[in-house]
Amino acid sequence: MKGFEVITAMKDYISEKDIIISSNGNISREVYHHLPQPQVYLRGSMGLPVAVGLGLALANPNNRVIVVTGDGNFLMGMGSSVTASFYKPKNLKILILDNKSYFTTGGQQTVSPALNYSKFIDSLNAEYKNSKEASKDQIKEDLSRFLNSNTFAMLHLIIEASKENLENIPWHPENITKEFTGKISKLS
Amino acid sequence: MIDSAAFISFLEKNFQFICGVPCTYFKKMLIFLAEHKSELQLQHILATREDEAMGIASGVVFSGKQAIVYMQNSGLGNVGDALTSLAQLYKLPMVLLISYRGLESDRSFPEHDIMGEVNEAVLKAFNVPYWILSESGWESEMNLALKEMKNSSSPVALLVKDGVLSE
Repeated sequence: MKGFEVITAMKDYISEKDIIISSNGNISREVYHHLPQPQVYLRGSMGLPVAVGLGLALANPNNRVIVVTGDGNFLMGMGSSVTASFYKPKNLKILILDNKSYFTTGGQQTVSPALNYSKFIDSLNAEYKNSKEASKDQIKEDLSRFLNSNTFAMLHLIIEASKENLENIPWHPENITKEFTGKISKLS
Repeated sequence: MIDSAAFISFLEKNFQFICGVPCTYFKKMLIFLAEHKSELQLQHILATREDEAMGIASGVVFSGKQAIVYMQNSGLGNVGDALTSLAQLYKLPMVLLISYRGLESDRSFPEHDIMGEVNEAVLKAFNVPYWILSESGWESEMNLALKEMKNSSSPVALLVKDGVLSE
């Protein structure tokens, strides 16, 4: 499966109350175009989506917080998954879309293949954990179990390296903050 | 030395979250935080890196809540991108409490010399307004910092010299 196909498949499970943090580059663009708006679309902050997601999860214990990150971003901030697992917020879900490359910058390879995600996630004792290749016939069940788990959850999906030709996110980051904080104030 | 109870009580009135990576200069404050964990209205979150701490604080601020991040000035070398492409870019107000290592009392710790020399220049280069926390005037310095943080909706810094928050 391709990354945007996984992101599009998430749509059926996302409600207005959910909070999504997307990692910079293609993933933020895909989340912006395919899932309900507004969310926290990171544009820079390489390596920080899990940290930002942890802050959001701790500050909004009654909302589900979903981090959608690529492997390059995840590896850069790998310590944050240890921090997240130290606190294990029940509302935090971390989705790693692994195409083994820095795709936004031209498809250069990452060191991702060296990591046994299954063992790593297992060592963090996430109550829901899964590491596998994304497949069209199982994606609905995988996403549903991951997103509906009432527990700190990590899902690692190996995806095909590819992207859609999507327009850049038209909102300036200041507007992203304005739109998102507007949504948060209505939720509480 | 600033009284830890008074200092934390001030933080409690202005922030819901405190997050960071320790420095010896914060030892007393951190002991106080740990000992009074259950009765404080200030959630303390540990971090593995200073930019991670700023990421966590950003998530808090995106939620309409307030956060303060503490770090040694060595960590200032780690937060450039978290500042420029996250907290400043997205207009996320937060206070950075930074220990000012590398001054006279740190002469036996050469690892702090160079950052000590450029510390203020680095903050100026990143356009982060800062105040140096003093034992006698800390409340007014913190209030000035908070006022600027709110006006600019961006991070501001407080520099903490040896002996100010811990003996």
